[in-house]
Amino acid sequence: MELILVNLIDGLVTGLLLFMLSAGLTLIFSMMGVLNFAHASFYMLGAYFAYSISLAIGFWMGLLIAPLIVGLAGAGVERYGLRRVHQYGHVPELIFTFGLALLIEEVVQFIWGKNQMPYSVPEVLNFTAFSIAGNSIPAYKIFMIFISISIFIGLLYILTKTRVGMIIQAALSYPRTVEALGHNVPLIFMGVFGVGTALAGVAGVIAGPVLGTFPGMAFVLGSIVFVTIVIGGLGSLWGALVASLLIGWITTFAKSYNIAMSDILNGIGIATPENMSDNPFRDLWTITSPQIADILPYILMVLILIFRPAGLFGKRES
Amino acid sequence: MTDEMTKDPKQQITTDPSKPSERMRAGSMTITLGPWIIAGIALMLMPFIFTSNSALTIMNQMWITVIFALAYNMLLGQGGMLSFGHAVYMGLGGFFCMHIMNYVEDYGVAFPLPLLPLFGGLFGMGFAMLIGSFSTSGAGTRFAMISLGVGELIAACSVIIVAFFGGEEGISGDRTYGLPFFGVEFLKQIEVYYLISFWLMLSAALMYLFSRTPVGRMANAVRDNPERAQFLGYSARWVRFYSFCASGFFCGIAGGLFAISYEILTEENLNAASSGVILLVTFLGGVGFFFGPIIGAIAFTLLQTVLSLQTELWSIYAGALFLATVMFFPGGLAGLLMMHVPAFKLGKMSGLVVPYFKTLIPAAIGVLGICALIEMTFHFRHGATGDNEMTLFWTTFDSHSVLPWIIAIAVAAIGIGIAKMTAPEMKEAWDEANTAGGTS
Amino acid sequence: MSAPALELKGLKKSFGKAEIIRGIDLSIGKAERHAIIGPNGAGKSTLFNLITARFPPTAGTVKLHGEDLAGLEPYQINRKGLSRSFQITNIFPKMSVFENVRCALLWAQGYKYSFWNLVSRSRQLNEGADAILEQINLLERRDLAAGLLSYAEQRALEIGITIAGGADVIMLDEPTAGMSHSETDYITDLILKVTAGKTLIMVEHDMGVVFGLADRISVLVYGEIIATNTPELVRADPKVQEAYLGAALEAEH
Repeated sequence: MELILVNLIDGLVTGLLLFMLSAGLTLIFSMMGVLNFAHASFYMLGAYFAYSISLAIGFWMGLLIAPLIVGLAGAGVERYGLRRVHQYGHVPELIFTFGLALLIEEVVQFIWGKNQMPYSVPEVLNFTAFSIAGNSIPAYKIFMIFISISIFIGLLYILTKTRVGMIIQAALSYPRTVEALGHNVPLIFMGVFGVGTALAGVAGVIAGPVLGTFPGMAFVLGSIVFVTIVIGGLGSLWGALVASLLIGWITTFAKSYNIAMSDILNGIGIATPENMSDNPFRDLWTITSPQIADILPYILMVLILIFRPAGLFGKRES
Repeated sequence: MTDEMTKDPKQQITTDPSKPSERMRAGSMTITLGPWIIAGIALMLMPFIFTSNSALTIMNQMWITVIFALAYNMLLGQGGMLSFGHAVYMGLGGFFCMHIMNYVEDYGVAFPLPLLPLFGGLFGMGFAMLIGSFSTSGAGTRFAMISLGVGELIAACSVIIVAFFGGEEGISGDRTYGLPFFGVEFLKQIEVYYLISFWLMLSAALMYLFSRTPVGRMANAVRDNPERAQFLGYSARWVRFYSFCASGFFCGIAGGLFAISYEILTEENLNAASSGVILLVTFLGGVGFFFGPIIGAIAFTLLQTVLSLQTELWSIYAGALFLATVMFFPGGLAGLLMMHVPAFKLGKMSGLVVPYFKTLIPAAIGVLGICALIEMTFHFRHGATGDNEMTLFWTTFDSHSVLPWIIAIAVAAIGIGIAKMTAPEMKEAWDEANTAGGTS
Repeated sequence: MSAPALELKGLKKSFGKAEIIRGIDLSIGKAERHAIIGPNGAGKSTLFNLITARFPPTAGTVKLHGEDLAGLEPYQINRKGLSRSFQITNIFPKMSVFENVRCALLWAQGYKYSFWNLVSRSRQLNEGADAILEQINLLERRDLAAGLLSYAEQRALEIGITIAGGADVIMLDEPTAGMSHSETDYITDLILKVTAGKTLIMVEHDMGVVFGLADRISVLVYGEIIATNTPELVRADPKVQEAYLGAALEAEH
């Protein structure tokens, strides 16, 4: 029982972290129709910037400034890169963001090198908040949950209650009309891209100390973030939230409970074969849930795409 | 974007190249055997020109990449489908061939090695049929995402399913246990070279011919306008499915050749990085023309081998080049080449030579200056402490002193500056070269 | 009596709560030239899209030569001999004009998903495509990318693609939309020429074209057909006068 609670908290942390990335990604997608392959790269930039800033003026200033820089960089990418490629169509746009992801990873290695950065949890938060049956829950995890939830509430508030949010929502569906009403739609696009990447930056700042700040961090998380928004339904903010939490919990639970495939197969009445070493299916028999925890999201995504192509919360594909 | 075609000469209407509207025709290629024969002869002669073993290895790698890139472009260029997990089809074909190779070795089966890639192709196609059955219902984001998901899935499986993929260390074999093929046992690199060249010619010709078949033509139609294709009696989904399977087949052949050439396959042959590289190669070469991926594969392999010897930063340059291609030359290298066809037909290429020299050479020098700055920065930041010496462009200097920096900055600024100054002149010459009639 | 070329019974379509097509019964005989007219927003294009299965109908049936088309995909309907054009030009812009037409011929000539025939080797295919290009007067533009044609030429190509497959029921959605007078005359002649002996169903705004071409006219107003008759009788019908024609005729003069 206690273990379940611990896993729930761990999964929540992972899920909310994913959500901070997928929220921005899905917003950008629904507005511009382009999946930003480099989204996780901005998350990585957030971590690296925050690390460099934290060396000079401390973690908290990093948390404040790094996302701003990342957001500005994102806006710049939209203004000078994506907008140019837009005229060639969607496929070149996807390819552009893909190339950008490659380049950012190279640039990060160029500046900071290939090794992991000693970016760590600030002293103030480096204590155990409480323990559940001997499992200590660090205060930093609580802090991460707190930050992510506040960002989600803030985002929801801006999108549904403010004038800017209204304009953004209108521009999502009727960009021409909104432009005709005198709003600067390109500016809105740039802003949304900037804010989306800044959100990814925040995620990077707070995840860097726990998940590690290294050149591969974008790659590790990047494809999972795509999977998340595809499962949730492209363009759906709620879908992104649900899918993020779902993936967070599935992977956490799969890792902490060691369920072996042989148990399942025995359970449904298939006997373990005698000569395991010669059996062509021996790998199937020896699979355990921690082994496949990381590919579960992909399996889930492929299944979703086959049986519910629009995703959990998506409308039909345009 | 030009689509080549052949015509019965009797039906050909005369083309007046002076009309801008008829230039498309000038840019189109007819099926002629010429380029194929030249390519075949070149393939035969290459080992006599580049005799070293390392050159053979590079060429083998190049030709395998050519097949893979051409197969990839059957989807991206011809069918408008963007795959982020295409290494899987090549990799699986390779793994399958490796198992056949080991089976032949273990059981002493009489099996001629040159046929092996065919089995890789069939396996690749089989897997493509499986995945294509659900992934080809859409072309855009949905297709891209499924390809990414499947790619990640297979790459991850390769560590789990040890029986087939061999886990972390992959699986390896020995190609020489097959039935000697007319006395050839493929012990020597040069024998493998000719085997690969043979499959290259065969696959390229088949892929080219595929694009001339009804389903190949409809692949273009579905790429341009799936809805209209539906109203012409074709199911867009089935057209995509056929392209997808054909692409899987040729990827599998490339995989089989990889297995023969390297005698080892690992997770690296399946993962997203390999899938990314092939996208890069194909786009760099140009997706709009059949021969684009060929140029891309050759250029990229050369870039990779030559640059990676010179600098450890080569991938940053490759990334920047790729991004610049997407932003400024979406037609890739092939597109750049074919842009010149109208001027060539008008016989005005000569007018472009001098302006090109005046702009592109300073620009190249400027870019080299920037590269020098990048290298120096890298050395300055990451070089071992106390080791301030670095060698760049055959010059050894101290990266912590000011003078080299000033020189590099000056070279970069002057180069780019001159290029910017002469660019309008080049533009003018370009317009002139593309206008019919005498100089006005 | 053989079945009519196209027969609609109780055809309805709603988008959410808005009922766009409110029960249409229409029967169009073989080799008839039928025009559908009506004010903007009457549902003419929606009707076309329902017949060709671009949208599924909410209720009712569509029969082609007596055969129910329910549940068929657009490409299956096309194979049964119904071909359509689009209001917004719908061609293959990156392919050559010739290639556009040739692709439209492939299915009709039985090539299906063949990957063992070469298109350039088939005399029938290439001559067929050239014959159509000649009919639509685009032979000179043969090797130009379709996207580079002028607007009127693209419309002509659209018609060429539509008729190429040899379908016996041709549906044209506003073939002369956005054209100048001379272009309109050109396209009208073209339609007359290429649809000879075929069933033609067209949506059109230009009354000159409608009265010049059609054997019968249906007037669609707010999702319902208020009259179907010969041009003369439709012109005289007071209901039509009131609903639509008066205003349109006035506007024309």
